[in-house]
Amino acid sequence: MKLSDREDELEELLVEREVRQFLNHEAELLDARELHDWFDLIAEDISYYMPRRLMRENTAGVFSDESYYFDESYGSLKARVMRFDSEYAWAERPPTRTERYVTNVVVTEYDDEEVDVESNLLVYLSRADSEDHDFYSAKREDTLRRDGDSFEIADRTILLNQTILSTDNVSIFL
Amino acid sequence: MVTDNTTTGTEQVLQEAREALDEGLFPLQLFQDDDLHELEVQRLFGQSWVFIGHESEIPEPGDYARRYIGDDPFIFVRDESGEINLLFDSCRHRGTQVCRAEQGNTSHFRCPYHGWTYKNDGEAAGIPQKTKAFQELDREEYGLAHVPRLESYEGLVFASINEDVPSLEEWLGEYKWYLDIQLKLPDGGMEVVGEPHRWVIDANWKTIADNFNGDSYHTAWAHGSVVDLELGGEETVGHAGTGESIDHHIHCDGHTTSIRGFEDEDVFLTYPDEIVDELFSGDDLSEEQWQVARQALSFTGAIFPNFGFLHFGDTTDDPNKDVAPFFTIRKWRPISPDQMELWSWGLVPKNAPESFKERMYKMYTSNFGPTGNFEQDDVPIWKSITEAAGGEFARTQDLQLNYQMGMEWMSEMELDEEWAGPGFAYSENLEEGGMRLFHEQWYEMVAGNDREDALGTPMNVDLEVNQ
Ligand code: FES
Ligand SMILES: [Fe+2]
Repeated sequence: MKLSDREDELEELLVEREVRQFLNHEAELLDARELHDWFDLIAEDISYYMPRRLMRENTAGVFSDESYYFDESYGSLKARVMRFDSEYAWAERPPTRTERYVTNVVVTEYDDEEVDVESNLLVYLSRADSEDHDFYSAKREDTLRRDGDSFEIADRTILLNQTILSTDNVSIFL
Repeated sequence: MVTDNTTTGTEQVLQEAREALDEGLFPLQLFQDDDLHELEVQRLFGQSWVFIGHESEIPEPGDYARRYIGDDPFIFVRDESGEINLLFDSCRHRGTQVCRAEQGNTSHFRCPYHGWTYKNDGEAAGIPQKTKAFQELDREEYGLAHVPRLESYEGLVFASINEDVPSLEEWLGEYKWYLDIQLKLPDGGMEVVGEPHRWVIDANWKTIADNFNGDSYHTAWAHGSVVDLELGGEETVGHAGTGESIDHHIHCDGHTTSIRGFEDEDVFLTYPDEIVDELFSGDDLSEEQWQVARQALSFTGAIFPNFGFLHFGDTTDDPNKDVAPFFTIRKWRPISPDQMELWSWGLVPKNAPESFKERMYKMYTSNFGPTGNFEQDDVPIWKSITEAAGGEFARTQDLQLNYQMGMEWMSEMELDEEWAGPGFAYSENLEEGGMRLFHEQWYEMVAGNDREDALGTPMNVDLEVNQ
């Protein structure tokens, strides 16, 4: 088949590339703890949600209907970002050292305005004067909305693997 | 000369602890000591009432949740007749754990090794090939082991692996008066939302126990970011000993609570008017309890040895939104000298409208739990205490931590003679007597004595003067 006959696929490829570039850029901002720049990528109608994972005898991938770690709106997410401007936000003094690995990016649906995308996220986190490190491993389901040349995040659900967290706290954004 | 620093070492440490406690001090090294951990597991946790869960977590027959006392795995389960059981999770054949999931519903637990099955009240129900292979085995003797003592108070279920522990009622003593205010203020009581947050941190369990036994001094500083952002009202998170609020620290039968409030005002922990009007009839409280609730802005409390709660008003997740209250109960489970697992539940009034329950749970996660704007900053602090305690320096240099705030020569503490509730009530939150009360009980139990030996006298006021 000629490339010119594969326009739809080409378009999909381009969308996927845009999305990947955006997610990588976002990860870089978070790793650099450029939290205000990161927050500029957040849509005003954001839903930022990280439910508590459950462990059940016969069913995989179950999450609580009621319990969560984050269920943020624009205002509460902004407050969380602003908190780290305070010299008393001890959890991030000194800042944790993180690297985010964003993989398995799959665009599940898109139109001219929005793109639904799933990705896997692995965060390596090093804290304090220690060789110790933590990992967060999760699948993310995002809705990205076109905003000029870039996107804004309109919806994010973070599905952690752990049911018992092995971190002191969650003082980063995922 | 080389000395034996195991048994003798621990005895000496306890002797030193005793001397330190008399002065309002506590040896740093006790926040991480291998031998001591063993003693704590045996003599303290093995002889105490330990929190297991809330009845509302397992409302239906067959509902179960895995829970722990120390390292021991148990199944917290409601049986077919509606009774709550706490079964030791170990097959009576050869020891395999029969409950694998964290939570669920089942009529039977099946052992994966050779297939013995147990009813949800622990009774052995099925033993494969029994008639051929285990002819003389009496099924009745081979049910899952029940914890020796299991009792509940207003929905809070506690257990003890010591048959001879005094009743839970006695253990709680008059502190029930303060628990009632939290649990019975709304008509219909409180219920747990969903499943608890659990996370494992590298800190000794006594660091958080100290914190919940009246560390009002840390709030404004350790949580200064919350103050900066105005996510909590000044009186909720402001500096201890300042501001307009009327503050009390209460020591009652070994347990403590810190209360902030306003005299003669309808505060009700900033519960909205609809909730106050609809649910706070006060029918389940005495007039005095209801008055304390009416004027209260926040409560922090701890039940010895490892249960705590926070019932706070005047907090928000967003400075542009109205304030609301939250209520969390928690347990700290020691795993090793330098590690514990935190369990934290959000609670709401059972009969409140869904929208309010959601708002209140949101307040909880915004402030506490692993993502809480408060609690994020507490944990690394507790971890750093533990690290400093674990080395040679703390052991060889006799470093003592200071808990003298409130002792006679440090400040003028007075008992509030007007206070309507039980226990010793100080009209002040600049005192660390609640922590000393915790240490005294800790000491008596770890030394193999009776917890009661630590109770009955005010921690801050010279007895001679007040008798
Ligand atoms: S160990 Fe459970 S059936 Fe054998
Ligand atoms: Fe705190």
